[in-house]
Amino acid sequence: MTRWFENIVIDEVFPLGDHTFSTEEIIRFATLYDPQYFHIDEEAARHSHFGGLVASGWHTVSVGHRKMVDTLEAEEERLRDEGNEPGVSGPSPGVNSMEFKVPVRPGDTVTYELVVTDKRASNSIPGWGLLFNRITAKNQRGELVYKAELVAFSKLRDYRMPLQLKVLLALTRIPVIGPLLKRGT
Amino acid sequence: MTNPVTKDRRHFEDLAVGEVIDLGHVSVSREMIFSFAREFDPLPFHLDEAAAKASLLGGLASSGWQTGALSLRMLVDSFLGKIASAGGLGFTNLKWKNPVMVGDTIGGTVTIAELRRSESHPQWGILTLDFNVQNQKQAPVLTMRLANLVETRSQA
Repeated sequence: MTRWFENIVIDEVFPLGDHTFSTEEIIRFATLYDPQYFHIDEEAARHSHFGGLVASGWHTVSVGHRKMVDTLEAEEERLRDEGNEPGVSGPSPGVNSMEFKVPVRPGDTVTYELVVTDKRASNSIPGWGLLFNRITAKNQRGELVYKAELVAFSKLRDYRMPLQLKVLLALTRIPVIGPLLKRGT
Repeated sequence: MTNPVTKDRRHFEDLAVGEVIDLGHVSVSREMIFSFAREFDPLPFHLDEAAAKASLLGGLASSGWQTGALSLRMLVDSFLGKIASAGGLGFTNLKWKNPVMVGDTIGGTVTIAELRRSESHPQWGILTLDFNVQNQKQAPVLTMRLANLVETRSQA
């Protein structure tokens, strides 16, 4: 989240907003990325066990990511407007698990939320922490559409770099010595 | 009840653990990166070359979700669209190993890791697939384990 790692409270719920899926966008996404008949062909989809067109799981997840990006950016803007420096979120190394439950059909409205379930300092990257995020998506009937467990980097606000590391980093910036050191790590 | 769309495709019984599927490859253009990022991941380092150069990635790279979506597309073209697939159940251990930079060509293989019949729904089998996607320099880009439903022939 756009909060400093130190200020993130475990189990706090962040609503990410909702999205209504149209037939047109379901077919458009699937035509590019998941062209299976039950995602792109309304007529053929009737023969599938879904009984009609459904969105690609990857589509509902990509929309969930968009909702998260929008929420983070709005939060960042709000913090700046209040004169506060927002936290820094980093790249994601991956997704531990993603479970698709109830399919999304044209006209369905999916509501997304994020919960940070755990956090710890990164072992591999000094000055950064790891957030363990759970995203859940539910349809307008409250049925679970998907549940995802993701990992994301978040910068530490209160980090003080050890002297040894400062020296090492300075050395890596020197020509000849730097590339040699980097090759060694 | 036979599904007329999938009746002539390979079913659960026709698949074997250890089968390796060649994904073919896809080149990732600037326009593809911008188009996905505008809709699903509008962060400056996916939308703007100058911001991308200044970022940790050092240049324009695709959204990790787009890398996954392109990997899925390669699997649909080479395999899922040719078998009696009944939809995805989810995935585990997705890892973005290296960013996909503009102009990169990604490809690789998917291996059938497990096959088991659904206990609660005998009309389906569960197919587990391991992705190994690389770039043109053979550096790893994405790995994940995907679970997908497949129709069985014998539904008894």
